[in-house]
Amino acid sequence: MSITHHLGEEQLLAHASGAADEAVSLIVATHLALCPQCRGKVAKMESLGGAILSDIQPEQVSDSALRSVMARLDSAPAEKPVSRAALAKPFVAPEPLRSYLGGDLDRVRWTPVGPGISYKPLFRRGQARAQLIRSRAGRGVGMHTHDGEEFTLVLTGGFTDTTGHYLRGDLQSTDPSILHRPLADEGEDCIVLAVSDAPLKFQSRAVGLLGKIFRF
Amino acid sequence: MIQPEAPVKLNALMLAVAQTQDRAAFAALFAHFAPRIKGYLMKLGAGAALAEDLAQEAMLTIWRKAALFDPARASAATWIFTIARNLRIDAIRRERRPDFDPNDPALVPDEEPSADSVLMREDDDDKLRAAMTALSPEQVQVIQMSFFADKPHSQIASELGLPLGTVKSRLRLAMVRIRVAMGGES
Repeated sequence: MSITHHLGEEQLLAHASGAADEAVSLIVATHLALCPQCRGKVAKMESLGGAILSDIQPEQVSDSALRSVMARLDSAPAEKPVSRAALAKPFVAPEPLRSYLGGDLDRVRWTPVGPGISYKPLFRRGQARAQLIRSRAGRGVGMHTHDGEEFTLVLTGGFTDTTGHYLRGDLQSTDPSILHRPLADEGEDCIVLAVSDAPLKFQSRAVGLLGKIFRF
Repeated sequence: MIQPEAPVKLNALMLAVAQTQDRAAFAALFAHFAPRIKGYLMKLGAGAALAEDLAQEAMLTIWRKAALFDPARASAATWIFTIARNLRIDAIRRERRPDFDPNDPALVPDEEPSADSVLMREDDDDKLRAAMTALSPEQVQVIQMSFFADKPHSQIASELGLPLGTVKSRLRLAMVRIRVAMGGES
């Protein structure tokens, strides 16, 4: 299975440079765990950061700084590489998402918000929110658009809308120009990680409730 | 004291710290990187005193995490950049810095197990510099602004008086040229 919907250069660079906020970095990094191609791109962007750091105008550091750091080396606990080979369990949620959930997807406590749809808010920073959304197989979220940008990463199952078909690891970017009605594939529940900087805007009043709840 | 060191030398110093906790090598890394980390943090808006404190913290982190340094994955300068970047997010922005874990069993491994990557890293930094000198000044400018500002690209666009699409396409083209110059896929 190979990923066909990737992140834009812009988000990858924002993650590599450190400019991205936490919610965007969470979805970028979770996509990177599933996508060797984007991982390679980010590694090169980080090399760019290394080159920029090397060429930067150095600022004089006080004479005591080195002595002070050398004196603290012994009390600085060393970090050893951890082998995860012992963790034989086939996790569905990769890091860093798993740390945010405190475990794998089977530990998530879902809140139902509509027929076949539940969600799990993760965190909110300013306007940006990160949440998991689960759609039962064959069900969907009503026709909606977005006030801002939204990124959706498929973790299980798949979904289809007017822009294409998305499977595990695929990342969809939407903005206010996209009006869609994502429909989960048959056969398996579709769980996605969604990050957005504004609430969803639903077309019909009946599903407007979903919008209110997703706003949390 | 602060003359630039060759990337190969810096990698060797970093390895000496990683493998034998070599204090002289660490002091040499400090002389090279602490003033640069301070410069990086000040460029991003930190005051001199805070930047110096955090540069010291970054050097301590480098010592503590040295065993995690993997020369097959990144050069010393690149690895140290990521430490300084993460420390800034943590200490100044007070946010977590989510990242993937290369040892995570759920991680989808690289398709071709890095036959070229080990070969690549040694002269990575030199290749990158050469690639950057081949970029247009406008491309270099948007890349530097991306690294020195907590700004969305829309803000970079408005500062430069350019349409957002122009900034995005400059960045995209710059990255394609860099990847081609480094021998990777476009």
